[in-house]
Amino acid sequence: MKFGQLVIAGLVTGSIYAVFAVCVSVWYRVSNILNLAVGDFAMLGALGVDDLVRVRNWPLPAAIATTLVVVAVFGYLYDRVVLTLATEGRSAQEGIVVTFFFTFALSFFIDGVAKILFGTDVHAAPALWSGRSLSLLSGLRVERAGVLVLACAVICGSMFWLYIRYTLGGKAMEASGENPLGARIVGIDTQSYRRIIFTGTAVLAAVFGIIESPITGYTYLSGATISLTGFIAAAYGGFRQPGRALVAGLVIGITEALLGGYVSAEYGDTVLYAILAALVLAWPRGLGFEPAVGG
Amino acid sequence: MNAETPALAVTGLSVAYGAMVAVHDATFALAPGEACALTGPNGNGKSSILMGLAGLVRRRAGDVRIFGTRAPNGDVRWAARHGLTLVPERRQLYPGLSAADNIVLGCYSWTSSLSRARRSAPFGLALDLFPEIGPHLRQPAGTLSGGQQQMVAIMRGLASDPKILAVDEPCLGLAEAVSRRVYDALARIGEAGTTLIVVEEAPKRALAICARRVEVRNGVATGASAS
Repeated sequence: MKFGQLVIAGLVTGSIYAVFAVCVSVWYRVSNILNLAVGDFAMLGALGVDDLVRVRNWPLPAAIATTLVVVAVFGYLYDRVVLTLATEGRSAQEGIVVTFFFTFALSFFIDGVAKILFGTDVHAAPALWSGRSLSLLSGLRVERAGVLVLACAVICGSMFWLYIRYTLGGKAMEASGENPLGARIVGIDTQSYRRIIFTGTAVLAAVFGIIESPITGYTYLSGATISLTGFIAAAYGGFRQPGRALVAGLVIGITEALLGGYVSAEYGDTVLYAILAALVLAWPRGLGFEPAVGG
Repeated sequence: MNAETPALAVTGLSVAYGAMVAVHDATFALAPGEACALTGPNGNGKSSILMGLAGLVRRRAGDVRIFGTRAPNGDVRWAARHGLTLVPERRQLYPGLSAADNIVLGCYSWTSSLSRARRSAPFGLALDLFPEIGPHLRQPAGTLSGGQQQMVAIMRGLASDPKILAVDEPCLGLAEAVSRRVYDALARIGEAGTTLIVVEEAPKRALAICARRVEVRNGVATGASAS
C-alpha cells in the first residue's frame, strides 16, 4: 500500500524529469547545445500564471495563454539573438563550451527576473482540475494534477514519437542532429529546426510547470533543481538518446520517491545522487555514457 | 542568351579559406544532359569547386547560374531546391537513421510529405538504381559497408530529383568491383538525361562515362571550353 502510493508519486515526478530529460536531449541532438535553462521556463510558467491570476485577477485561460506567449517570444528571441551570436563562426568544440555558459547564464537571468517579479515565496498556478484526489484500486490515491501530468507526458511523448517516425519533417529533424552538413545538403534548414525546438521545449516546460506546480509548489529557484535532474537523466542517454533519457527520468523519479518514503525524506536526494554517481562510475558504457562533448 | 540555356554556367568562380585560395577564376559551362569529369591531383581545388557550386562554401568571387538563374552565394538549400544536388565527399549520411530514411530524405528538397516522397518517381528510381541495397533498407546507415554507404549516398542524391548531380570522389576507398557498380549507375543516371559533374582523382573511370573533362591544377581550371 505504502509502496504503491510511493510508486505513483514517483511516477508523477519521474514523468516530469523524463519530459525535461527528453527536452534536453532532443535539443542537444539538433543543436549540440546543452540547455540548462529548461527548468527555469517551467518555473516561469507556474509563477507567471499564479501572478497574473492571484495578484492581477486575470481569468485563468488568459493568464495561461499570455504566459505561454511570453515564454515563446522570449525563447525565440534568445535563440535568434544570443545563441546565434554565440555559435556563429565557432567550431563545434568551442561552441559547446561557449553556449553552455550562455544557457547557464540564461538560467540565472530568469531566476533573477523571477525573484523581482514574483518574490521569494512558494506559489503555484491554480489547479486546472481541482477536487479531491482520485482513488484507484485497493485504496491507492492519486492527485488529479498528477493524472494531468502523466496524461500530458504520454500525449506529448507519443506525438513527438509519431512526428519522428511518420513525417518527413521529423526525419529531417533527426537528420539535422545526426549530421548537420548532410542535412543542409538535401535542403534542410538546420537553424530553423534548432529555433523551433528551443522555443517548443521552452513552451512545453512552461506547460508542465503550470500543470505540476499545484503538487509541489514553486519558488523562483525551483527551475534549477528540475533542470539538474532532467540534465542527469539526459546524461544517462549520452545526451543524444531521448528514449533512454525518458526511462532514466522515470527511474530517478520512482527511486527518489521510494528513498524518501523508506530511507529518509531529508536525505533522499543525497542518497539518490550518491547511487547515481556510483552507477556511472561502475558501469559507464552500459548506461550510455558516450563522450557527449568529445564525440 | 543563345537558344539553349546551359544547365550550369560558372564564371570566374573563386573559393578561398581565409588566405588560402583553393579555386581561382574557374569558368566553364555544361549543356543539359552533358557529363563532365573534374580531374586533377587531390588538394588542387576540385572538391572546392563543387562546394562552391552547391553553396556549401561561400564564393569569394564569381557567378554560378543554374539553368540561367543566378545562385545566391552560400545557400545550399537554394541549390538543392533548384535541381543541383551534391553527393558529397565522405557521403555525409545520417548514421543512426535507416538506409531507407537516408534515401527518402533526399526528397526533402521538393516535398515535405513523407507519403508523397515514398510514392514518388524519384524515390522509386533511387531504389531501383541499386537493388542490392534492398535487403539493407531498414539497417542503420552507419552499419553498412563503405560501398553500400556510397550507394545510399547516390540514391539519396537521385531521390532529390536532380537536374544536375554533382558527385565528389564516388569511389574513394572502394573495391574495384564496387567502383564499377557505382560508375555503371552514374552512367545510367547520365543516360536518363541528368547533367553530371564528377570529381575524380583517377580520370580513367570518369572519362569512360564523361564526354567533357575539366582539369584542375593549383586551383585553376583548364580545358574549360567545350570539347
